Amino acid sequence: MIVVALAISFTSYLGQFEQTTTLSSPSSDEMVTVQSPVLGSESASVTIVEVGDYQCEMCKHWFDNTRQQVIDNYIDSGKVNMIFIDMPFLGTDSHVASMASYCAADQEKYWEYHVMLYEHQEGVDSGWASNERLKSFAFTLDLDMNEFSQCLDSKKYYYQVKLNLDKSMNSFGIQSTPTFLLINTSGEQQQIRGAQSYSVFERVIESLL
Amino acid sequence: MENSIKFVFSNYRYVVLCAITTLALFFPLSIISEYLYLEPYFIFSIYDETAFNFSLIVILSVVAGIVVSMNVFRVRLVKDAKKIGSSITGTVIGASAGACSCGPIGFSVITTFGTAGSIASSFLTNYEIPLRLLSIGILLLVLFTTMKSLSLECKINQ
Repeated sequence: MIVVALAISFTSYLGQFEQTTTLSSPSSDEMVTVQSPVLGSESASVTIVEVGDYQCEMCKHWFDNTRQQVIDNYIDSGKVNMIFIDMPFLGTDSHVASMASYCAADQEKYWEYHVMLYEHQEGVDSGWASNERLKSFAFTLDLDMNEFSQCLDSKKYYYQVKLNLDKSMNSFGIQSTPTFLLINTSGEQQQIRGAQSYSVFERVIESLL
Repeated sequence: MENSIKFVFSNYRYVVLCAITTLALFFPLSIISEYLYLEPYFIFSIYDETAFNFSLIVILSVVAGIVVSMNVFRVRLVKDAKKIGSSITGTVIGASAGACSCGPIGFSVITTFGTAGSIASSFLTNYEIPLRLLSIGILLLVLFTTMKSLSLECKINQ
């Protein structure tokens, strides 16, 4: 009986997005991953790839305590740049929040929206990232609401975000958020798992510069 | 009743057992709660907003260490293992409360059990502090009853 219950639960999890959407099969354009715009200089020596979930508590701890120091000391000086890849596995609102961030990117406000999401993060699926709240964040950032709503309601980035999740889990083998991959121009890379302190990032970045 | 603590820990073997139990809980709990990282460096990462949670892990580990060693003493003295179950319950609640849903344990639970795993993981994360306090409460209750029964049993045995 437990096995049956678990099987039903697993199936419902896999199908939860399909149940709430009436999407057609993905086109070839939709079968590519999406990523954030680059934060910082395109020619920086080190790139930080953050893999995260907008509902992840530890991602917020890193956002609140470490991210700004990395920006002030490395990104603003042009030594390091950063991109964000979604791995929305924690709850149903994680996927919607990620889609909304790319709708904001269509209006060139990806990072502003990213900051807004982490600043307003609350409990997993507690309603803080509901469709209405996501639209209110867009309104606060002065985005074109018609364009944003159409993008979000039509689930324009549904398949791309899903592909990001699949790639993060299956191709890159990432099993927790946040996970950071730091890569330099020579191809050397290091991984930092979890919301580690600035001192760790400082040491790893210095070793890669 | 407090004499029972002095009586048990006057034997250095129970002090060592207490220290081992405390450390054996503290390090795994700190790792699964993502306060201690082993890679790329061995480092504690505790922020202002997580300091209270971390202090609960320290308290939980120390109390569990005292409870386990006193119960081992009691089991050897009177061959009664009734209170061991309660101390295990308290420890398990405290340990599971800390398994951060963003971490590898939460990830495994969510990807294996789907929605049910996601709900359970969210519950444990959202109610981490009350669950840890409950766990410490259970352990303190077990400690109190162990001290009480030890003082009675020791008098009887005398």
